[in-house]
Amino acid sequence: MGETVKTKKKAFERVMQSATWAAAVITIGVLVLIVGFVLVRGVPHLKPSLFALRYTSDNVSLMPALISTVIMTAAALIIAVPLGVFAAIYLAEYARRGNRVVAVIRMTTETLSGIPSIVYGLFGGLFFVVALGWGYSVLAGAFTLSIMILPLVMRSSEEALNAVPDMYREGAFGLGAGKLRTVFRIVLPAAMRGILAGVILAVGRIVGETAALIYTAGTVAQVPSNPLQSARTLSVHMYSLSSEGLHTDEGYATAVVLLVLVVVINAVSARIAKRLGGGDK
Amino acid sequence: MSKQNIIKLREKLMSAVFLVAALASILAVGLICFFLLVNGLPAMGEIGVFKFLLGREWSPTDIPPVFGILPMIVGSLYVTAGAIIIGVPIGVLTAVFLARVCPKRLYKLLKPGVDLMAGIPSVVYGFFAMAVIVPLTGSSMLTASILLGVMILPTIIGLAESALRAVPEQYYEGALALGAGHYRSVFFIVLPAAKSGILTAAVLGIGRAIGETMAVVMVAGNQARMPVSLLKGVRTMTANIVIEMGYAGELHRQALIATGVVLLLFILIINLSLSALKNRSKQ
Amino acid sequence: MKKIIAVLLAVCATVLTGCGGAGFDADRAISVVSREDGSGTRGAFIELFGIEYKGADGTRRDMTTKETITAMRTDIMLTNITGDRYAIGYVSLGSMNASVKAVAVDGVQATPETVKNGTYVVTRPFLIATKGAPSGVAADFIAFILSAEGQTIAADTYIAADDNAAPYTGGGTSGRIVIVGSSSVTPLMEKLREGYIAVNPSAVIEIQQSDSSSGMAAAINGTCDIGMSSRELKDGELAQLTPIRIALDGIVLAVNNANPIENLTREQVRAIFTGETVTWSDII
Repeated sequence: MGETVKTKKKAFERVMQSATWAAAVITIGVLVLIVGFVLVRGVPHLKPSLFALRYTSDNVSLMPALISTVIMTAAALIIAVPLGVFAAIYLAEYARRGNRVVAVIRMTTETLSGIPSIVYGLFGGLFFVVALGWGYSVLAGAFTLSIMILPLVMRSSEEALNAVPDMYREGAFGLGAGKLRTVFRIVLPAAMRGILAGVILAVGRIVGETAALIYTAGTVAQVPSNPLQSARTLSVHMYSLSSEGLHTDEGYATAVVLLVLVVVINAVSARIAKRLGGGDK
Repeated sequence: MSKQNIIKLREKLMSAVFLVAALASILAVGLICFFLLVNGLPAMGEIGVFKFLLGREWSPTDIPPVFGILPMIVGSLYVTAGAIIIGVPIGVLTAVFLARVCPKRLYKLLKPGVDLMAGIPSVVYGFFAMAVIVPLTGSSMLTASILLGVMILPTIIGLAESALRAVPEQYYEGALALGAGHYRSVFFIVLPAAKSGILTAAVLGIGRAIGETMAVVMVAGNQARMPVSLLKGVRTMTANIVIEMGYAGELHRQALIATGVVLLLFILIINLSLSALKNRSKQ
Repeated sequence: MKKIIAVLLAVCATVLTGCGGAGFDADRAISVVSREDGSGTRGAFIELFGIEYKGADGTRRDMTTKETITAMRTDIMLTNITGDRYAIGYVSLGSMNASVKAVAVDGVQATPETVKNGTYVVTRPFLIATKGAPSGVAADFIAFILSAEGQTIAADTYIAADDNAAPYTGGGTSGRIVIVGSSSVTPLMEKLREGYIAVNPSAVIEIQQSDSSSGMAAAINGTCDIGMSSRELKDGELAQLTPIRIALDGIVLAVNNANPIENLTREQVRAIFTGETVTWSDII
């Protein structure tokens, strides 16, 4: 009797052990498969001509798209970061607990983070492109993206601000600093790393985005010379490049560059966040 | 004006600026809802709300056109359900592995791997699925479900892992002390204690799956008729929008935006249940 | 641990061989792949094969079976045919490659020659369209496209619209224009732009790739200077736009390389795409 219970127990342990290992193997297996697939299909086609400064139908260079990605990211951050950080300052430093406005802000922010990118694309197309008359442009794309990443920036900034010990604030007040001065000189610098880690994650989202951009920034393959011109980011480039079945190989080469970008972005964000954790302890 | 007054004024001004910034998200949600509703609702009115939502035929370029999006609503729900069936068990088990089983050294390798999965652009997922999964299972509901199941993995793993880690260590140790094995303690004590976090992860996964567009459209087959089988294609609401938006004429375009409104409605419901979940777990 | 991996590998292997090993089973259902509704390739295809029903009262129905897989882009079309040995679809002659097999229609293979001399009938024009008379860069660029230089570029991959075009004599204009429309025409338009910029460096030409119907809509509402279409214009579009033929393209019927079929009649193609013919054994 006792023996059977024991074997049953053992069997359970065995089964669950296999199950968890299997799940982990599947997860990592899929990742390895995807990365391997992209590398195998893309790396052989990474040629210097893919990085030519100008796009032509022969070299199908990804350089203009890479530059446009940087421009688009910078523009979206310029809009979203101050807005997000200021909003977080309000929530963390100014708002009173249980305030109704705060509850609404939190709910809308969560709603924003749940909205699919295709809906952002539809909205951006209706509002920035048509209603405001900006046309397919970097500006329309950047504004759409900035709304998309706003919740991410807000949340990570608020968490970073909340993580700053109250001693800092009390100390600053004690020395006679006003609230504003305390926030900008003491609290914000202390929260900087956390904010930065969130911002870099937001960059990752921008780099991977397609659906929100095809209706707002368009698909032109050249570097834009002013904010009202259309441009395509790397993801959109990869999407448009292979569409006629003519440049599939170069599409995969672009995917390799995209993957490298994502790895770098993740590594930078993780490193910053890690140092932050280390500093606190 | 004295220096004191200037400082006071600045304080007031900036706290107003902060408030305005915080209100931006309300403004954004308001604008999004407003523009989608204004551009989508008239079409629903013209077509007839029931005809639009419950119509089983979608032939937008015929003369006269027919706009019924039930196939797409059902398609989205099926594909999302498939993604959850595939993604949640694997995701939760992987989270258990990361939080409770995995040796520390392996963890240092796996965690960035999961983060990388979260960062891979959906177009890349789409190309992968098109070249690797489609030859096995065709352009079908199954393929789309597998793809989405994979795509929601990082969301589920990340949230489930932190929920598991938030369970106090005493729970686990208590179970061990009572003679339960390692896995029994994890699955019967720790996992139930992290229930609401895991549920949140699943609900967020639903949101991601139902909203995914660029990858799904490459592998789902996109037939605009009621789903018939796991191995046949389906069209999701998102696919419907992205396939036809480009060339849609007046009423057709509005009907597509109305499809976006329905999608948004689903997302709002998901969000509401999410905050209900959070409130419940707080109490 | 090793056991798990071994089992997984075994499962993968059976799945792969299960789908890969067998030959062509003609009793299997045909997987019909078509392009999306707004695509010029689809528009031309259903018109040429009589898949479109036109009623006397002005009603029009696309009779393509609802079971068709909708490939939103040519590369999705190609991968679907490559990945499914029972698939049939269609692509532009310019996008045709060895990953799929071309099927003759009524005994004629699609080649630049047969398209040009008219023996291959499944052809469609590449058009550009403007609202009113174009001016400035747009007018000069169109003159370039229709010149001997422009038509030589078109003849590289497609079939020139005019073999005896006069040499280009314009130039000297500057400014920026936007061209929107068919993704089938886009590769050619990019080549034409490069040829034009080489002789007229001060012009800026933006190309937005979407599809024929959006290109025509953009030309009508003024968001672009020139629209691109890979099908004939519809009556509503003709009322507002002036089309210009810049090249000719064939639409190739494509099947999987494992498919033994070499030839289909137009009636068979129509029957397949309307869903009347369901399995390959009905034809082979």
